Order: sequence, then structure tokens, then C-alpha cells
Amino acid sequence: MKRAIIFVWLLLLCGRHLDAQQDTPPPFPTQPIPSAKPSAPAPAVVPVPVTPPRPNGKIQNSLVRITVTEAEPDYKAPWNAGAIQRGVGAGFVIDGSRIMTNAHVVSNSRYLTVERDGDPNKYRATVQFVAHDCDLALITVSAPDFFKNMTPLKFGGIPELESTVSAYGYPIGGERMSVTAGIVSRIDFQLYTHSSIDSHLAIQISAQINPGNSGGPVMQNGKVIGVAFQGYSGDVAQGVAYMVPTPVIRRFLKDIEDGHYNGYVDLAISYSKLQNPAQRKFLGLKDDDRGVLVTTVVAAGPCAKILREGDVLLAMDDHPIASDSNVELEGERVEFPEVVERKFKSDKVKLNIWRDKQPMTVNVELNTVWPYRIQGHRYDVRPRYVVYGGLLFQPLNLDLIDAYQPTDLRIRHFFDYFVVEQIYLEHPDVIVLTNILPDPINTYLAAYRGGIVDEINGKKIRTLEELAKTFSETPDRFVVKLIGEGPPLVLDPKQVEAARERIKTRYNVLREQNLEEQAAEKTPQDQNKI
Amino acid sequence: MAPVFAKKEPALPAPAGVQKQLSLVRVNVTGQPYDYFRPWQKKAPFSKRALGAVLPQGRVLVTADLVANENYVELERAESGEKIAAKVEVVDYEANLALLEPVEKKFLDGLSPLELALDTVVGDRLSAWQLEPTGALVVTEGLVTTVQMMHYPMDVGQFLTYRMSIAMQYRENSYTVPLVKNNKLAGLLLRYDSRSQLLDAIPAPVITHFLKDVQTEHYRGFPSVGFSFFPTRDPQLRSFAGETGKPAGVYVTSVEPNMPAAKAGLQVGDIVTAIGNNEIDQTGNYVDPLYGKIEFTNLITSHTYAGDALALKIQRDGKPMQLNVTLDHRSAQDYVVPPYNLDQPPAYYVLGGLIFQELSRQYLKEWGGNWLREAPQRFVYLDHFQSELFPEGRHRIVILSQVLPANNTIGYEDFAYLTVTKVNGREINSLGNLAEAVQHPINGFIKIETEEDPKQIELEAAQVAAEAPALQESYGIPSLQRLE
Repeated sequence: MKRAIIFVWLLLLCGRHLDAQQDTPPPFPTQPIPSAKPSAPAPAVVPVPVTPPRPNGKIQNSLVRITVTEAEPDYKAPWNAGAIQRGVGAGFVIDGSRIMTNAHVVSNSRYLTVERDGDPNKYRATVQFVAHDCDLALITVSAPDFFKNMTPLKFGGIPELESTVSAYGYPIGGERMSVTAGIVSRIDFQLYTHSSIDSHLAIQISAQINPGNSGGPVMQNGKVIGVAFQGYSGDVAQGVAYMVPTPVIRRFLKDIEDGHYNGYVDLAISYSKLQNPAQRKFLGLKDDDRGVLVTTVVAAGPCAKILREGDVLLAMDDHPIASDSNVELEGERVEFPEVVERKFKSDKVKLNIWRDKQPMTVNVELNTVWPYRIQGHRYDVRPRYVVYGGLLFQPLNLDLIDAYQPTDLRIRHFFDYFVVEQIYLEHPDVIVLTNILPDPINTYLAAYRGGIVDEINGKKIRTLEELAKTFSETPDRFVVKLIGEGPPLVLDPKQVEAARERIKTRYNVLREQNLEEQAAEKTPQDQNKI
Repeated sequence: MAPVFAKKEPALPAPAGVQKQLSLVRVNVTGQPYDYFRPWQKKAPFSKRALGAVLPQGRVLVTADLVANENYVELERAESGEKIAAKVEVVDYEANLALLEPVEKKFLDGLSPLELALDTVVGDRLSAWQLEPTGALVVTEGLVTTVQMMHYPMDVGQFLTYRMSIAMQYRENSYTVPLVKNNKLAGLLLRYDSRSQLLDAIPAPVITHFLKDVQTEHYRGFPSVGFSFFPTRDPQLRSFAGETGKPAGVYVTSVEPNMPAAKAGLQVGDIVTAIGNNEIDQTGNYVDPLYGKIEFTNLITSHTYAGDALALKIQRDGKPMQLNVTLDHRSAQDYVVPPYNLDQPPAYYVLGGLIFQELSRQYLKEWGGNWLREAPQRFVYLDHFQSELFPEGRHRIVILSQVLPANNTIGYEDFAYLTVTKVNGREINSLGNLAEAVQHPINGFIKIETEEDPKQIELEAAQVAAEAPALQESYGIPSLQRLE
């Protein structure tokens, strides 16, 4: 799980925001989309005659256009509902009266409608499952006849390099379905930018996909071989588009069979290749090009207390691990974590290891690893925060970093090394004093902004809950020690209490705290009707 | 018609006809910085041109950044173009001042030395002196808008600084531009921003301090006390610190180990209320007879010398106390991560293709003007928070800066910017230390342990030795090590 910043746009947004107060990625092309129309004013857009050979059949019967109204949480004013935006994406019907699309199409949604070809109605839809770590979601429509005339699509396998594929969706440039064709350009692991922390298999295609294609099927021989989801913006690279391939889709569909999406599991270790002959000799390994060196074992991960730094991984589920960290899976050489990639929560994996020049076999029960999550984007949750005496305390995570863009070296260090240096053991929440709502009681405290809470009245503060609980007490004063050298932040609870309503009113602070990442909205099933 | 403000005498020199020889010489410097990415070599030479202010006793004052890493310095008479070699007598990179001396003193004959004008205050007009290629004087006048404590380029402590508003013109020798008041030297240009037309100057009081120190047998450098502070404007903080009496003084937030304040017994949480007889207010200012309110650090940098005793009046838990501090200069080598390293070759140790160095800010500055953002962030963090991360002080951070691909380093090529903790099981806290530990392989292997992944790297000692000549040959490394 590496974090990397690359300039990738997500295809969802097409610039139709009801509320423009938030900066959103600009509509993608700066140059006008070449129009099929003649330059003279045409009387009307003539429906494209649809008769020629169509290898994938009549996709209109399976494709839907999804209009989503979303509220993006405002980490700078976390008590607010957030900016309301609207976007368009695509989806397609699969078995079981379900519609598959991208997670980023329906993330933070407040209201969802779908439309289909040749039907004037808009149907209210609801999210059934959403997997932010692989950018997939399932939605459904409860209107009784909606799925009646629709054809569920079937999934295919991994397409051959250079074979032709077609992408369907509702990209900018018109209202109706669009088809583009291209070839399979590359099959590789890619960062999924929706969470910006997860990397999975992704297939690069040369078909043009643009904002609005997101969630649309990519087809070959009548079968879905991927879901279009991300690409580079035009000023970085042209014609580089990616789809979620079917192994990732199938894993998602299997994961939710028990009615709950658990997400990807991870070994939570880091490792180093073992290609140096001296190092191999030192470790007592044979000259057989096998094994990788375990370099960090994350204490919150499933390998804690099972693996140690300095162990050598020789095989995983009996797949020999080469010294360049590859294994052979179904005839393909892939990085060995791919073995785990296909597994589910509570599955076991067998590891043959080499410890102190002796072979050993251990079994690891896989699980998700929470500390990584603060380094990825979160969706469908409300920001956690505490306001006390006009001081806004928030736990450190990627969305906070994006909102405030802090240059403070300590904050950046705590974020970057949260997992690697196991900072989460002492500070499961890294609580940052992000902002100060000015009031006479805090007028001298501006210099404390950006500080990270360490202790209050001599007691270690590990989580936001502990912070809120401590502030609910009424000692003579609170002495807040921030991490590092600096003066303590001293607050008088009586003064804070006296200023409380004044600050709430002046800054329209609707709620003084939110401690739980409860879902932003739970839609009762019966709201599905229009 | 009385002007509202007292009109100062014109700062311009007298008309050319009656003017003596200008007290300026051109200074031409050729320098060659060390290459911290290939520490066994120097970068391409550069040359800089500047003006120097002629002082009594045949010496020439310039800024230190002009002569940093110099190979050759020469002085040039402005009017005749006559040149002579010069040597650097004293250089202080922290105060950014250097004193040059021509190899023959009579070279400066006929140039009357500049006196110092120590009385510049806000509202004064100073003239920046530059020279045309012909040797004629270019004079630009500007207004002193602020006198305050600021950071100098080396970022070691704060010094008194004049900030001026002035529209300077570009001349080829715009390095050490003298600022003059009534034909006396009031300051030297420290930096100039042509967009905002703001100029910062090293003021005459700092120059005087430097020159006085030069008179002593060994130049000691500007003194420091070794504590950090925070204003006590917040009544809650004052009450927490147990302050009694009228609000005053600054809250001590950290005390550097082994430094004068620590030796005198200053503690975190103390409130420093006065230095000598100068009371310090809640923001850290005292009332200076010349400047009015200005930060108390000026009392230390401008008015005291290393070795001087200083009375710190403090309050601890509400009780007044006095601490007697013996000031000292903190040299760059006294830091865990030295703030600068100029004129000195960087130390390094090459082992089978692994390059080890000591972490220094000079190394981080190889990433250019934006090094704070572009250099390896872990190292920037270690540098920035060195005093709290290494409270025991007195050791160095040894880094594996890069790996030269070779037979010994197959598979290690991508390792870079790692912090070395142990070699062959021995703790590493300096490069010399590492060089020693390397001599004690474990069963023929040299084991290097790092703070970051990969955590461990091994080399075969015999193979490292056998292939050393080939490594030197193929990468052009004259010597595989340079220890202090």
C-alpha cells in the first residue's frame, strides 16, 4: 500500500454543479469536443441511426445514466452539511436486479436517480454496496417494472493485449449514450485514485473515456470485461484511460455475498527484494533466486507477532516467491501480494519462511488494516471534530490535509509516517488544532494553531473521544500539552462555558462535536419511489 | 517653514570636484563549492563581483556569502583598474561578514577608510553606493522603514537588521553594496527584493560587534544563550506559570542542553523578566535608548560577547530569581545537524558503492532554494526538530545518501536517504565511528542497519576490499573516504 500523488482526474464530474462554491476539477478538455454536426446550424440533433454491426448487442437495454446529487463534507467547517454538487455517470444492469457503477459516482450521494434509453421517467435509486477501495458500487431501483425490459450483462475475463474493446457511457458532448472503441494497451497494477491509497490490477485501454464515462461498461464479444473509471487529464497524458478489470469486479461481488462489504485484506508488512549475493549468503540462503526480506511488520496488521523483521518469505500458499518478489499465478508473473489480493477477511494464508537460517511454516489469518485508512480519502462519512472554546480539533487524515494544505513539518511527518513509524500506537487519532474561531477567550492563542495534542492535565490523549470526554469535565483549568517544544495551551473551563453560546451563534456552529464516522445518510428502502 | 521631522543632512557625498578618493574597492572572487552529491569532488568554479568597504588598518569589509568557498580573492582599484590578491582574515557566516586584507597593504594607499555610523534609526535616509564600469559612483537613496531582529541567510539566531525601501539599479558588482550616511558606513546590503523594492541591511552595530571581536586574539563569534521563548500575553498562560506582579517577561519553552542558559540553571516554564537592567515586556521587547521597543535578543547579539556574564532575572513558580549566565558562541559543529559547512570539504565514506555522509543543512541545501519542500522530508524533519529529537546533543546523524551500482551493491541500487543506526552491531553516531565499525566484520560480512526499510544491508568484507580499486576507477573517486 503505497501512497503516491499522480495527476489523475476522476471521470465523474461534468461541471453541472448546482453549487459552485467548491473547487472541483475543471471540465476536462479545454479544447472544444469535436462535434459530429456540420458547422452550419443544424435543424436538430438527428438521432444517430443505429443499425450497423454491433458486436456487443443492444447495450441501451442494459445501460443507465445515473444522476447524483452529492454533498461533499467541508473539513474546514465540519458542522456543515457540505457543498451540494451534481454529476452524471453511467451504470449497467447485472443479474439480481442490480446496477453496477463506480464508487466515486455515488460517493457522498444525497439523492440518486437513473434514466434509461427510451423511457421518459427518472427513477429514484439507492446504494446497496459501495467499495471505496476498488471504486465499485452496486445500486438498485425499487420501482417494480424497472428491470423488466432490461438485459443483465455478463462478465468476461481478462482481455488480450491489443484486442479491441468498446466503452459505453454518458460523457460530456451530448445527452445520449456514447460509444468509443480502442484496444487493450496495458495490464498492470495501478493506484486507484478514488481512495488514493489502494493499488489493484487495472487495464489501460486506448478508447477515449471522459467525464461521464465513469461506471460504464467496457465490452468485448458481448461481455463486460471492465468498468471505465479513471484516466489522466489531457495536460498530463493523452489517451490513457483505465478500467476496473473483472478479477477485481468478481472479488467485489463475492465479498458482498454475505450482505456486507469487508474490503481488501492486507498482510501489512513491507519487504525488500533479495537480489544481493552477499546478503543472501549472510542470511544463509541458497543461491536459488528465492525469497524476500521482511523489513517492517505493522503492529496493527495480521502478521504482528507472527512475522519478524529479518524473516525471509519463501512461499505463500505454496507459490514460491522469487527474489524479485514475484510469484507465478495462473501462468502470469505477479507481485506476491496478489495472492492476498484475491482473498477475503478471515481467510488464511500459509507462509513458508526462513528465520535464523531455519525453515518454518506459519499461518496468518487475514484482516483489514485500519491505520492505512487515514492516508486515503474517506467517503460517506461525516468529519469528526470537537469545538471547545472556539478551538477546532480534528483528527489527521488525507481529507484534512487536502482541505488545509498544511506546510507544517510536524503535521506532514505524522501523516506520512503514521503507519511506518507506528505512530498510531500512541496516537490512534493524531488530533490537530486546525483552526480557531476568534473570541475574546482565545484571542492570544493564534500561535497554537497547527499543534498536535499530546496530553491534557498530564493525561495522554489518544483519541478524539478521550479529548471530548476530558473537555466535558470541569477542573480549575485545562493545561493542554502539544507535541514538541512550545508553551502549553491553558484554558479556563468557566470562561469557555461562558463563551460557548456566543461562539456557537457567531460562527453558526450547528454542533460542537461529531465523534463518530456515522454514515452521512441512511436511506430507508421505502424512499425509493418517486 | 519648519519641517515636521528634523531634516537630516544630505547623505550624498560631496560634489565630485572636492571629493577624496572613494573608500571603495572592487572585490573579485572565484569560488568552488563542494558537491555534496559527489562529496569527493568540487563543482564548477563561479565568479562573483562585489564592492568592499575600506576600513582602517588596510582592511576591506564584505559580506561572508561573497567569499564562501573561495579559491581566489582579488581587490581592484575602481579608478585605475589595478589589481592585487587578497586573503580572507576573518569570516563569520552567521552574521554574514568577512574581512579581507590585500597581500600588500599599500595597495589601499590614498583611500581614506570609512568610519561607521552607529546612530541610524527609522526615518533616516541611507545611500547605496555602487560603481559604474568607469569607476564613477552610482548613488541611490532610500528610507529606513524598520529596525528589528531578523534571520540572516544562515538562519542561526537573529540579528539586528535595517529594512529599507529603495529602488536599486542593477550593476555588475551588486554583492556587498555599502549603505552610507553622511559619508560614514551605516550598513551592508544583506538581501534585496526588486519586486517589493525592499532591502535588508547588516547594520553598523552588528559590523562594530564583528570588528571588536576581530581585535581579540581569537575570533569567537556572536554569543548565544540557548533557550527559546514565547510571549506571555495570554493571561491563562501567565497564571499557569504562576506569574505574580505586573504582566511582563517571556515564557521559556525549551532550553538547549550544554548551552549557557542550561548551565546557569534556566528551566522550561521559567519567565524571563529582565536581562541586566533591561526589563522585558510580554512580547519579548525591551526599550532601547536608540530604537525604542525591540526584541531582547538584540541585547545579546549586539551588546555582549562570548565569555561575558549576563544577569537573567526570572520568575519561577512566582518567585523572582536571578541566574548568571556566562555567554558562549555556539559553533556550527555543536549542532547535531550543522546549520552550515563552508570552506570545509564534506566528510564521506564509500563502502563497496554505498555512500555514507553526515546529515547537514549544507547537504539538504543541494536541493536548491526550495530545499525545505524538495529535499528528503525525513531529513528535513530531523534537521528542523533536532533539538527535541536529540536532546542529548553531541552526535551526528549518519546517512546512506546513495548507492553506486557495482558488484557489491547488486539489488541495493534503489536505496537512498537512509539513516544508519548500527554497523556490525555497533551504534553509529558519527562517520568516524562508522569507519571504525566497518573494520570489525561479523563472520566476514559487514552488516549495516538502518532506521528505515530495508532495515539491513550486508556486504562481503573481502569482496568490498577486492573491488575497491575498480570502484574508484569506474566512478572517478580519488579517495574512498574523507573523515574530519
